[in-house]
Amino acid sequence: MIGFILKKLRFWQMLKFNPKKEDYTTKLPQSEISHDLGKNLKILKDIMGTSRDIIFREFAFGHRGQVKGAIIFIDGLTDKSTINQSIIKPLMFDSRLTGPEEKLDNDYIDLIKTTMLYAGDVEQVTSINDIVDGCLSGDTILFINGCKDALLISTEGWESRGVEDAKTDAVVRGPREGFSESLRTNTALLRRKIKSTEFTLETMVIGKRTKTSVCIAYLKGLANPSLIEEVRRRLERINTDAILESGYIEQFIEDAPFSLFSTVANSEKPDVVAAKLLEGRAAILVDGTPFVLTVPMLFIESFQSAEDYYSRPYFASLIRTLRFLAFVISVLNPAMYVAVSTFHQELIPTPLLFTQAAAHEGIPFPAVVQALIMGVFFEILREAGVRLPRPVGQAVSIVGALVIGEAAVSAGVIEAPMVIMVAITAVSSFVIPAQTDVGAILRIIYLILAGTMGGFGILLGLIGTLIHLASLRSFGTPYFSPLAPLTARDLKDVFIRAPIWAMSTRPRTIDLKGSQRQKSNLKPDPPSDE
Amino acid sequence: MKNRVRLLKLTIICVLIISSTTGCWNRRELDNLAIVTGIAIDKIKDSGKTQLTVQIVKPAELKREGGGGTGKAYVNNTNTGDTIFGSIRGFTHKFSQKLYFQHNQILIFSLDIAKEGVQKYIDFFLRDPETRLTVLVLVAKDKAGEILDVEPQLQKIPAMDITNILEAQSATSQSSQVKLEQFLTRLMSKTTAPIAPLIEISGEGSEKVALISGMAVFKKDKLAGQLNAIETRGLLWVIGEVKSGIIDVDSPDGNGKVSLEIVRASSKITPEIKDGKIHIKVKITEEGNLGSQSSLENYALPRAVESLEKMKAAAIRSEVLAVLKKARKLNTDIFGFGDSVYKKYPKLWQELETRWDEIFPQIEVEVAVEAKLRRLGRITEPANPEKE
Repeated sequence: MIGFILKKLRFWQMLKFNPKKEDYTTKLPQSEISHDLGKNLKILKDIMGTSRDIIFREFAFGHRGQVKGAIIFIDGLTDKSTINQSIIKPLMFDSRLTGPEEKLDNDYIDLIKTTMLYAGDVEQVTSINDIVDGCLSGDTILFINGCKDALLISTEGWESRGVEDAKTDAVVRGPREGFSESLRTNTALLRRKIKSTEFTLETMVIGKRTKTSVCIAYLKGLANPSLIEEVRRRLERINTDAILESGYIEQFIEDAPFSLFSTVANSEKPDVVAAKLLEGRAAILVDGTPFVLTVPMLFIESFQSAEDYYSRPYFASLIRTLRFLAFVISVLNPAMYVAVSTFHQELIPTPLLFTQAAAHEGIPFPAVVQALIMGVFFEILREAGVRLPRPVGQAVSIVGALVIGEAAVSAGVIEAPMVIMVAITAVSSFVIPAQTDVGAILRIIYLILAGTMGGFGILLGLIGTLIHLASLRSFGTPYFSPLAPLTARDLKDVFIRAPIWAMSTRPRTIDLKGSQRQKSNLKPDPPSDE
Repeated sequence: MKNRVRLLKLTIICVLIISSTTGCWNRRELDNLAIVTGIAIDKIKDSGKTQLTVQIVKPAELKREGGGGTGKAYVNNTNTGDTIFGSIRGFTHKFSQKLYFQHNQILIFSLDIAKEGVQKYIDFFLRDPETRLTVLVLVAKDKAGEILDVEPQLQKIPAMDITNILEAQSATSQSSQVKLEQFLTRLMSKTTAPIAPLIEISGEGSEKVALISGMAVFKKDKLAGQLNAIETRGLLWVIGEVKSGIIDVDSPDGNGKVSLEIVRASSKITPEIKDGKIHIKVKITEEGNLGSQSSLENYALPRAVESLEKMKAAAIRSEVLAVLKKARKLNTDIFGFGDSVYKKYPKLWQELETRWDEIFPQIEVEVAVEAKLRRLGRITEPANPEKE
């Protein structure tokens, strides 16, 4: 029903909101390059404007400088030494060897491309459009007077952050490197994990103004072709002017845009993304962000940490189970406390009830209001902690902890057990980073349900949440699988983490065939001492 | 679109049904509760009215550790009315908060009430959804209300103290806790007689304590008689409720006593009808340890153990026989013999049921006791100077 109402709302909104139509597709004069260098440069100068970082370098070379040429590049996006050493130097030196009567046509530019340039990646282009795009992404353009083609020479080189420790998904054991902002670095990190020709990258450019490179990575033969087709289709649909982070893409390609739950996973760690690719998922890498999207996403993915697979199965399974518990606590704890202490006091053991009642004595607010105050205050503290510059953070945490922990209780505003509840909830909510945002919203919803209807309200909320979770899909895969629909074989990696040698098949929910990933009899079997 | 409208209709119907099928609930903040921990029911002789005493906890006083404050952690109050429910509601004239019964621990009937019949007093506690069936039922040897006034020795709230004492009775098995539901089960049975522990005030002045000993035996819902400590354990042997306890027997050599601890016990009641006569076989199996001995004899010998076992079995048997005698005298089937006959001979039962009061005292009961002595404790022989 919610979906239905939302669809109606969306429809009304569309009726009301009818902005000035803008074409978000790239449209530049579809002009061809002319023979005349001066004309070309004039067209380009018109298009590129007068920004000082766009360098137009005209020069002459060949026999007695009879050939006029120009290179155009953007300062800062290009590697100067490459331009000097691999383009200008060979042209000026080597072209002297050419004869005096060189015919200046496309054969000549081909000659330059094949024999003179020391650059690795050179492309021959004819349209102004391609030239502008290339120039803006760090290529250098070489015009030769009299030639109808231009050369696009790859000279990208700019300052970027190197590969550093991932800030999210921290592990004790396991690789620490994280993706960086550079798309090339990121694809290289993945390729270093998966040294197979099956590893395929499909690049597309999205965003009229940002022209962001977006890469679909998958393993050919492993990933379901229809999944890749669907990813491609959804990405091609995006018609916007700017993609600044993978979050933009995520919101454009989600299955359930109005759901609280995200149906697209993200990770900052190459090993995590590689593992997901190896299960048959597709990854979407976006230039300019270290966060890589992976689809399809399952609900249980949020509870799986890379370290689960690196540590031994017993502890990993224990921690896995604890994570589920922590999620339940982080979502339901304040609501349960409110429900029990204001509706179902009969559930509290008698001695505890006395303590509780004593703690509540003289507190002016009902339990639900206290829980809301504390919950909101905690969220503010958390947000402040994230946003604040590091040196100030400490001051905030001290003030926050003091106010929450001590002053509120001794001032008689909040009862002491409530502080415990909020503290447990707060700590639990950090255990599952992928669902922290969902948890915060669900927590408030459940709290209000519990405050108005008690345990009955919580139950209604739980039923609603479960129905919603079970109805979600992520790129064709049921979001709540392998729990609903139940896929017994995939339970090896849900609440318990089976030993690596026992997980011989890929998850059926992702890779529909449930294909074998290793031999099935790999249990270590040391020889007996005889 | 049609589908969606249908879905919407279904959802609305579901929501309406769900919201109307809720149980009984209400939002109450903790500080609005007057938590009742004990109820005592008395009868006022002159007017015939019911006097209700409730014990309400004052949580703030409970919390106050040390720090002066002579305030009691509870308050007792009485109200008189024609009916239980009426007098309970009457408390609203006296208390700012509504009485909250979910955590009530004990329900004490005065002797007068028990003699009159508890049926009409118990009804409210069964019917009202706010009360629990796990409340412990007690019968006072005199007035009930006064028992809640006895200041407990170790705890702060008398009703909680009595609950703990009742729980501790399993250490001797000379009285037993009876929950309202157990009381009710026996009350509703055609033949089995309800039982409830007896409570009395012993001592004077500041020495006053609430003492639990023995059991009250009901015939239908009226008090029929009382079992003393020995008879109570006899009863518990038969119904298999003995948890622990001490059996004192004379030493086999005659000088001193031996205390034997009961570790586990079970019983089996097998009815049999022979020639139209009911014959019941009670088999009691007991296991225990040697607790202490006052003689210097060495019992770590098979023969000594055997003789101790025999003496123990005899002691158990005598306890059972004592209660059998009492039950016959009172003509109350406290053992549930009637139910066991009904289960085995459901066809004959209809005829037997009507005459059960005549049959019960005549039933032949065979008591077989199998007592075992398993361990002798940390020492085997008594610690005494070694003989030459």
